[in-house]
Amino acid sequence: MNHALRRVSLVVLGMFLLLLINVNYVQAFEPPFLAAQQDNARVFAQQFQYQRGSILTADNKTIAESVHVKQGIYSYQRHYPDPQVYAPVTGYNSLYSNTGIEQTEDKYLSGTAPQLTVHNLIDLVTGKPKRGASVQLTINSAAQQAAYNALKATGLPSGVVAIQPSTGAILALASYPTFNPNKYATFDGAQLNRIDSAYRNDPRQPLLNRAIEETFPPGSTFKIVTSSTAFATGNYNPDTRVYAPTNLKLPGTTHQLINYDNLPCNDGTNPTGNGKVPLIYAFTVSCNTVFGNLGMHLGDNALRAQANKFGMNDPNLTIPLPVAQSNYPPIPNNDPALTAYSAIGQYNDTVTALQEAMFSAAIANNGNLMAPYMVQRVIAPDLTPLVTAQQTSMGQAVSPTMAAQVARMMVSVVQQPYGTAHLAVTSMTNYTVAAKTGTAQNGANNTGLDDAVFTCYAPVNNPQIAIGVIVKGGGLGADASAPVAVKILQAYLSSLAKR
Amino acid sequence: MSAVATPGEPAGTGQLAAARPDATGSMVPMPRGRRQTELAMLAFAVGVVLFAYANVGLGLNGHIPAGLVTYGIGFAALVGIAHLAVRRLAPWADPLLLPLAALLNGLGLVMIYRLQQSGRNGNPGNVIYGMTSSTATFQLIWTALGIVGFVAVLALISEPRVLQRYTYTLGAVGLGLLALPALLPARFSEVPGTGAKIQVAVGGFSFQPEEFAKLALAVFFAGYLVAKRDVLALAGRRVLGIDLPRARDLGPVLIAWAASLLVLVFESDIGTSALFFGLFVVMLYVATQRTSWLLIGGALFLAGALIAAKLFAHVGERFTIWLHPFSGTNPSHAAYQLVQGLYGLGYGGVLGTGLGHGQPYWTPLVQSDFIITAFGEELGLTGLMAILLIYGLIVERGLRAAVAVRDPFSKLLAAGLSFTVALQVFVIVGGVTRLIPLTGITTPFLSQGGSSLVASWMLIALLMRISDTARRPAPQPIQEEGMTQVVRGR
Repeated sequence: MNHALRRVSLVVLGMFLLLLINVNYVQAFEPPFLAAQQDNARVFAQQFQYQRGSILTADNKTIAESVHVKQGIYSYQRHYPDPQVYAPVTGYNSLYSNTGIEQTEDKYLSGTAPQLTVHNLIDLVTGKPKRGASVQLTINSAAQQAAYNALKATGLPSGVVAIQPSTGAILALASYPTFNPNKYATFDGAQLNRIDSAYRNDPRQPLLNRAIEETFPPGSTFKIVTSSTAFATGNYNPDTRVYAPTNLKLPGTTHQLINYDNLPCNDGTNPTGNGKVPLIYAFTVSCNTVFGNLGMHLGDNALRAQANKFGMNDPNLTIPLPVAQSNYPPIPNNDPALTAYSAIGQYNDTVTALQEAMFSAAIANNGNLMAPYMVQRVIAPDLTPLVTAQQTSMGQAVSPTMAAQVARMMVSVVQQPYGTAHLAVTSMTNYTVAAKTGTAQNGANNTGLDDAVFTCYAPVNNPQIAIGVIVKGGGLGADASAPVAVKILQAYLSSLAKR
Repeated sequence: MSAVATPGEPAGTGQLAAARPDATGSMVPMPRGRRQTELAMLAFAVGVVLFAYANVGLGLNGHIPAGLVTYGIGFAALVGIAHLAVRRLAPWADPLLLPLAALLNGLGLVMIYRLQQSGRNGNPGNVIYGMTSSTATFQLIWTALGIVGFVAVLALISEPRVLQRYTYTLGAVGLGLLALPALLPARFSEVPGTGAKIQVAVGGFSFQPEEFAKLALAVFFAGYLVAKRDVLALAGRRVLGIDLPRARDLGPVLIAWAASLLVLVFESDIGTSALFFGLFVVMLYVATQRTSWLLIGGALFLAGALIAAKLFAHVGERFTIWLHPFSGTNPSHAAYQLVQGLYGLGYGGVLGTGLGHGQPYWTPLVQSDFIITAFGEELGLTGLMAILLIYGLIVERGLRAAVAVRDPFSKLLAAGLSFTVALQVFVIVGGVTRLIPLTGITTPFLSQGGSSLVASWMLIALLMRISDTARRPAPQPIQEEGMTQVVRGR
């Protein structure tokens, strides 16, 4: 029987070899696949067992941190010191999912990024607990706080973004109404689900990031693009006299394009309401008829090409939060009437608040549009920098000459007593500001409340901040949105002065 | 492996040769029983277990568990008693089996304590399903009963051949134990939540008769096959170079096959069914040395499995879970347990999280069927391979005893018992690591549950009894010459 026994031994050896090979496969090769599974509770729970990295503003204010607690299996709980102010930036970090910077920078914050492998290994060997890397943002706490307060003061759904024109660094990014990410930091799964569904079912949509995730009609702020398109032809400058009817007849329709409150476009040289005014005057008082007519002459394709140069129609923009595409879609059959509406930002063109800021930022930076970004650097637990942001250009939106021409018109909007932003801006700040207001009609047959849109930069001679504001249902851009922008630039520029 | 553990030991029956008188007529020293080796390795096993226990406390709470000393003394005393019993009752037994079993038993205790401490989903307030707040204590009591069973087997069975007398008695007992849960109403026999009718539960106390049926049936198979092996080895027709048995001799294997299928159908226990059938076929092969029995057995098993998969939804589902655990809603429903176990293994990776640092509590039944995934998670691939090698060593020492012992009954019994350990480990570890379809059976020595633990200790005692017989020096003649030799027993 020993012969058979030796064979059985070989079979047994084979069985154990199979087991050993299989566990080697499962534990040495399969872990990345297993960890990537959606429902792997261990991976989610694990991140609360060690200290996740903090999120800091550019001026070193902590806006998200892991606090040591002892709740069952969890050792660290996420805490947001100013939850609502920074919610659109940080997002939340819950048991099951992340949003915002918590999501996009998760591999650094959680310490799983490849660059951190050596740090983790050293910590393991030296017996230090594992920690995630910190993420420092470009956000300025003064600007961000002012932004949130100003939006909250409007009481309306609204979003704002502020950019440093020379770098693309995002100085503020706020949305209202917003949510409290601390509520997502609970370890109670049932409670978490209740909170999440309450936020999701809230008609005010607090989880929606109105600075970058929702688009609105740009209204008259789009006249920056229309003017730029005109200057690019070489046939126009701010002093070119352009046709300025009181009512613009739209070809192929019975509609007539009119100005705000059906006013004539008259600087004193156009008493008949059928003559011409300088382009800069039309821009300053925001004559729809002038720009509608101009748009029809320039054509849909030229307008869209210029819009693209300002960053519109880009589905892949990330800051690193994904940004909704600002649209300037092709107009069916190049219809001139619809082109006229598009040229004043009232047809299918829609923009994010970030896009509004990018209009001004490009003009402020001599036409060079810097790619907006929010993560300045990633700092390893031992304080060595891991990643530092690289500033990149998205290209010349307009030539420096054209930028200066548009800038001159935007300054005029604020400085001329008849400019649409004159009162709103000069009454509130001593900083020199260049701006464009917009009042976008809304809803079916324009029965909805107008959206207030505003884009600006300051100071004029040395631009430090460019801002885009959208207040849904805010009425006139100058009334609802301009004060928001001014409060932000006031807060930011005075914080620079103190430094 | 064995060369390291027992250096210089002659293979097989070499001990007998070593005891022969040399040319001058003086006696060479008796072969050593290697009890000192056993004691040293036992101390090492106890040390590893206590280290692991301290580790759990440090991992979970940051301090060494308060009960370390009493626990250590208790565990050391239990294995110490086993060791003393071996010294007295089986002094020539293999020195590796007891330390290996003690190490596994101790690690199982540590893991069950660790799981009890962390609670369901990691909340110490909720006990893991199937555990209570005193499961670890009960497991220690079961360990003590296991040692009692171990000593009792060594004390009551002085020679393996004694068991041969009870071949048919034990066969009847084994079948009775196996059939018992199927005959009882489900409320007494069904394991809650699994649908498997494999236990006898009265009050708060439950036991799984199949664990003991395994031992009884191994004895029965050995006795039966030793008696019938000459007939069963007779060649019938020769097909494709393989001698097929005669058709009329197929009876026993068909009966075993039918019995295992009945277990499967009436108790919904695929693992046990596979285990018993595999045990029978391999013992049949060893007894007859006819490869054809292995082929016939394998074919019957595959046919049975496929038919069962078609006929019974719960068997077919096992195949689906095995092949597609991650597709559709399987990860959160049908394959939840398997997938959680795999997540645990993946989370542990090569080096493991360390005891107390993993999250094994997400996996349902992690304290019993899936305990190997808890070890894989916290001790990593490294620790899991070490545990598999410990099992491999136990099987190897058992087979070595089978090779060494001269009596055919003992040989068959040792082979059968060793092979059940191998097969059981293969079925459960292969199942939870997705090598083969998952069937729930206990992991010897590690899983929560008293029946399995006591039966495993009795199995080790039987193997040690057989190895003691194999390694015992031949009787020494009292006088050198003469017509009549008076021989002395041991």
